[in-house]
Amino acid sequence: MVRDRRRFLYGTGVAGLTALAGCVGGFGDEGEGEDTNVGMVYATGGLGDDSFNDMAQQGVLQAEEEFGVSFDEAEPGSVGDFDGAQRSFAESGDYDLVSCIGFAQEDALRENAEEYSDQNFMIVDTVVEADNVRSYVFDEPAGSFLVGTLAGLLTDTEFAAGDGETNPDESTVGFVGGEESPLIESFHAGFEAGVEHANPDAEVLSSYVGDFNDTGGGQETARLMYESGADIVFHAAGRTGVGVFQAAESEGRFAIGVDDDQSMSQEDYADVIVSSMVKRVDEAVFTAIESVIDDAFEGGEVEELGLEDDAIENVYGQSIGDEIPDEITEEVESTRQQIIDGEIEVPDEL
Amino acid sequence: MRDDIERLLDRLVHASVVERVVISFAALFAAILIGGVLVFISGGFASCRTGLDLAGMTFCYNPMQVYYELFLGSLGHPLGGNWSPMNYSLATTLRQTTLLIFAGLSVAVAFRAGLFNIGTQGQLIVGGLLTAVTVLFAASYVPGGFVGTVLLVPIGVLAGAIGGGFYGAIPGALKAYADANEVITTIMLNFIAVGVTSTLLSWRFQDPDSANPQTRPVPEYAEIPNVPFVGFSGRMDFSLLALGFAAVLMIFVAWLLARTSFGYELRTSGVQPEAAAYGGVDEKRMTVASMTLSGALGGIAGAFWVLMQHGYWLENVPPLGFDGIAVSILAGNNPLGVGAAAFLFGILSSGSRSINTATDVPPELVGILSGLIILFVAMPEFFRMIGRRFVDVDDAAPARSAGGEADD
Repeated sequence: MVRDRRRFLYGTGVAGLTALAGCVGGFGDEGEGEDTNVGMVYATGGLGDDSFNDMAQQGVLQAEEEFGVSFDEAEPGSVGDFDGAQRSFAESGDYDLVSCIGFAQEDALRENAEEYSDQNFMIVDTVVEADNVRSYVFDEPAGSFLVGTLAGLLTDTEFAAGDGETNPDESTVGFVGGEESPLIESFHAGFEAGVEHANPDAEVLSSYVGDFNDTGGGQETARLMYESGADIVFHAAGRTGVGVFQAAESEGRFAIGVDDDQSMSQEDYADVIVSSMVKRVDEAVFTAIESVIDDAFEGGEVEELGLEDDAIENVYGQSIGDEIPDEITEEVESTRQQIIDGEIEVPDEL
Repeated sequence: MRDDIERLLDRLVHASVVERVVISFAALFAAILIGGVLVFISGGFASCRTGLDLAGMTFCYNPMQVYYELFLGSLGHPLGGNWSPMNYSLATTLRQTTLLIFAGLSVAVAFRAGLFNIGTQGQLIVGGLLTAVTVLFAASYVPGGFVGTVLLVPIGVLAGAIGGGFYGAIPGALKAYADANEVITTIMLNFIAVGVTSTLLSWRFQDPDSANPQTRPVPEYAEIPNVPFVGFSGRMDFSLLALGFAAVLMIFVAWLLARTSFGYELRTSGVQPEAAAYGGVDEKRMTVASMTLSGALGGIAGAFWVLMQHGYWLENVPPLGFDGIAVSILAGNNPLGVGAAAFLFGILSSGSRSINTATDVPPELVGILSGLIILFVAMPEFFRMIGRRFVDVDDAAPARSAGGEADD
């Protein structure tokens, strides 16, 4: 009996070890080496923010579809984890490109680009000067200026659509930021200037929640703004911004989305999202991957993307955008042209 | 029924060291088994291009691969080709181990004194900031190079210990002189630590060259140096010297608790405060002293987090202090056990990253797997701790004159 059991254990052990050796790969893994391999390091909001990070993922998914690249993803939980996430990709040497999403990765990447000088990197939203890093920056102030113009015009108009309506007696709009940083402040500055340009009498309320991941905080902040008379609130706050939409919904006011067309990605709130300032992060990721595949990756370059490339756009809401009066949309369009032509100077600092 | 439970607890409380080790490994194995099933099933609900087709469903995640990455990935895949012991994954594991030894010791010391210090996180935050600020300030008066290292590193660690110790003394004093429950005060002080340090940072210490909320970096020679030739490379953010220091400190705390009169008084206050008071222990002073010591250890964790890992203080402090609670419980509050428990946590943390990069398993699921392992491994110890309240510990072993059991 004892012997049987021992033999059984021995047998299972051997079988188990043999099986283990062949089993540690992923199910259905394709052979290595043929593909282009991309490592994605997302910003701290993580995937599922229906905004910045998901937009970046769109880019790599598109590359997967068109070129069959394979990719792995890391979602660091805090700023201190960026370094490790970038390094574990670079260290393995298996990745043709490591995409760093978000300005907060700048410090970590500056060190890692030097340490792993053979590794190609790209970074979005900030500039890292190194021969193996391609930096993509967007002209957020111009886009924010545009949606600011829209908000400034709309707050004085009697406008009701979907679940919201404006209060034409109050000439107030709001801005909710995530963490207080030069980048988010540039959204703020552009927005404020845009409102001022369209409607010099309008008041702009602004607040920073201090977090890109605090939906409750975003809702609380936006509700205070709506209660003090704001008709429209623009957010640049990642997932915190979902709270702004929730507040708009419950207060029957409007909101402006950011990064992607949030009236689509946040369909539940399409009835209060008049517009979104779309930032084509996916384009940046996709072109970077494309250049790696074409062997045309140029490090050390800074790519500036703006209104003229349609990399920054004002996209009206799917559900209520059509109801915005034509004179307003025409004015916004002419403002866009003026910015491109250089007739309007958009500030990038408060 | 009641008898059964009592008998079970009795068995657990009187388990020998070997039995406890066997129980721990059995628990680990059970956690892996359950976690593996969980991973496999969740793979059925995920979407992927290729997976294992079974019974009309596509399963995306391979549990074998996940645990391979978790345990061997954290060591840098020793079974794969060109493995070098100085690899980055192992450095991550050992870095986390080092920091958690300090944090775990902090919690364990308070525990042994009968105090539940949930404030290690706050003490770590305060200690870390004080370390960074002190070193930045002192660096302008101290020559660079080797002399700078020899002077600045001890100054930094000392500053962290003082900052953390002071911050730990507050709930100690509140407990001793105002009868405020230390569980509540330490939790509250964690929030205060986050708020105050964040305000201080933006008021004075923010690095103007960085977009992230952090202090200026300390000079390179003020970071914990590495052992030349045999150590990990400087950019791996881990130093064998730091791990060595953690080990020495661990032994020191064990010695302090087991072999000194201070340790004896501390332990008696934990086990039987009335008896300790009757025996001449100044209860109030003991409470403050043990909380100060606990806080100082937490502050040292912060100092090493700053001087070894980053070179600057960051507003987003990882929850090392909270992990320290789990480490301490896992170790049965035994200072020497803290090392092993911290190593397990180090493996889980480094292995999680390895899973993240090598597989499509989402980080949330990886968090559940680590949580299961901790839960299963810690549970027997936890029941032992509870069980000791109901089961007469001394009925099997004769009473000893000094010190009691070394491993209680």
